[in-house]
Amino acid sequence: MSATTTGIATGVAARIRHRVPFVEGAALAVAVVVVAMAAVGPLVAPHDPYAVNLTDALLPPSAEHWFGTDANGRDVLSRVLHGARVTLPATLVVIAASTVIGVLIGTVAALGGKVVDEVLMRITDIGLSLPAIILALGLSAALGPGLSSAVIALSVTWWPGYARLARTLVREVKDAEYVDAARVLGVPQGRLIFRHILPNALNTLYVQTTVDVGAVMLVISGLSFIGVGAQVPSAEWGAMIAGEANNLTNAWWAVAFPGLALLLTALAFNLVGDWLRVRNDPTIRREAR
Amino acid sequence: MARLLLRRLVTSVVVLLGLAVVTFLMTQVLPGDPARAAAGRNATAEQVAAVAARLGLDRPLWDQFLAYMGRLLQGDLGTSVFTQRPVLEDVAAMLPSSVELVLAAMVINIAVAVPLGTYAAWRNGRAADAAARLITLLGAAMPVFWLGLMLQLLFAAQLRVLPLTGQLSFGKQVPAITGMTSVDALLGGDLAAFGDAVAHLVLPAITLAASFVAVVARTVRSSMLTALSSDYIQLARATGASELRVVVLHGLRNALVPASTILGMQLGWMLGSTVLVESVFGRTGIGAYAVTAVLQNDLYAVIGTVLVIGVVFVLANIAVDLVQLWLNPRLRHTGGRARRTARTEVPA
Repeated sequence: MSATTTGIATGVAARIRHRVPFVEGAALAVAVVVVAMAAVGPLVAPHDPYAVNLTDALLPPSAEHWFGTDANGRDVLSRVLHGARVTLPATLVVIAASTVIGVLIGTVAALGGKVVDEVLMRITDIGLSLPAIILALGLSAALGPGLSSAVIALSVTWWPGYARLARTLVREVKDAEYVDAARVLGVPQGRLIFRHILPNALNTLYVQTTVDVGAVMLVISGLSFIGVGAQVPSAEWGAMIAGEANNLTNAWWAVAFPGLALLLTALAFNLVGDWLRVRNDPTIRREAR
Repeated sequence: MARLLLRRLVTSVVVLLGLAVVTFLMTQVLPGDPARAAAGRNATAEQVAAVAARLGLDRPLWDQFLAYMGRLLQGDLGTSVFTQRPVLEDVAAMLPSSVELVLAAMVINIAVAVPLGTYAAWRNGRAADAAARLITLLGAAMPVFWLGLMLQLLFAAQLRVLPLTGQLSFGKQVPAITGMTSVDALLGGDLAAFGDAVAHLVLPAITLAASFVAVVARTVRSSMLTALSSDYIQLARATGASELRVVVLHGLRNALVPASTILGMQLGWMLGSTVLVESVFGRTGIGAYAVTAVLQNDLYAVIGTVLVIGVVFVLANIAVDLVQLWLNPRLRHTGGRARRTARTEVPA
């Protein structure tokens, strides 16, 4: 009897541990904090992120300014808090837009004829065979520098991966028995696609988008750092680093903290995404990661 | 094998054509009227129309695209507004320095990732494996440009062991032969300058390599795990071969095939990432050139850089395929990509 109890007890402990492992739990917490920062950051920020105060320029971290101040005397902590509000929505727009484009193209390729499939997949190949940051750089330069240009440019360069994935997933599902059954029952084509095929096909794709949040975020702030994304006074993390890079040697804090925020956020989303992916896919769950 | 190469070449041509279309579209979304810009502020409507006709801007888009393709095929990427030189000349002058950086980063990448991945697989599930996982996670989440700045802060500004920026210390000179500073120093027989150039190369190369190490280490680890659990490894162990011999000679040799594909792809990606690294370290190169061009609103220079990096990317992919053929004799017979060999062992 006691053997069974301990057996059950370890079983339960293992289940809980399996649900949310420690590292992933911490990552999830960080991700939640960043999202919360994006939502309420301005309310808890101790100072105005844009208030210039040259007498307080480049102050080291102190009780008044936890992360110090930048060359214009702006409070770095407030700007870092505010940055979540700029970077995160931009990232989500890119992910959402490229998911829509990718799913559309992938689905049409999977359900359309052979010729349509071939043409769309060759276009996808072109997109996949070039570095996204370079295409996005060219596009947003052509559109005129600005965060919205970077977001548009990245959206139109990021979708090919999703298109290919969506095509594979839809092809897997479209001949499933329940789809056949619905077809035989006379469910119209549109309803068949949107109600029967896509919801079942795209789970894996949604998980992939979570994995990509970190990567997209890094590209967006990279573009801002170069100067084609968010422009300098903006409290976008990449732009903040670009604006303060000149003062690196005498005021490390104005560069270090925005980057740290970026690193931690990307790390948190990567971990959460990885965890979801492993949970979602029983075949990789078995292997030790 | 010939079929495989042919298919590869056709795909590459399609990709390059796509690249041409994309860059052409970039020239089309330029804000403002290029004919008016070229004709000058005070030009009359007739003058603007004449300029538009001369530049071919009044012709249908399709015609303009063909003209654009014609210019590209002749190596005409337009003229840089900023340097007033043909973009192709500018880019050709900048490329060697970037190639030098990319190769240095690649050496670091391989030197770190392959042992790390191998060791992690060998110690599967233990502390070393966890440490390797942590490093790969950090690498994947690292903002490249920020890492560069932090390394500068630590090693150049604080510890003063490496130079902060540039390619060569003030007052040193190397002959202009290849355009790669360290190579030129060697060719010029100047060892002091060579050491100096390498010292300038260390931080940027580490920065550039950092985000690529993660992927390679992960690939090596997973293919190494597969290799180490295979029959031929058991056989090698059974013959009494030393562990080092088993892991490196038998395991790694096979595990490196998938990694080599990734490494080849990464050459192109790294060249793209120079836009984030070169300007941080004040190096000249194609990445820094692209960034300056962007800031100067020098669209043809930007597009030229995009084109050249795209072409290098495609060439790197072809090279990868050739290396694959050489590494993996099975491909030569199947005429396709590596097929998964059937698992022979019965699952427990």
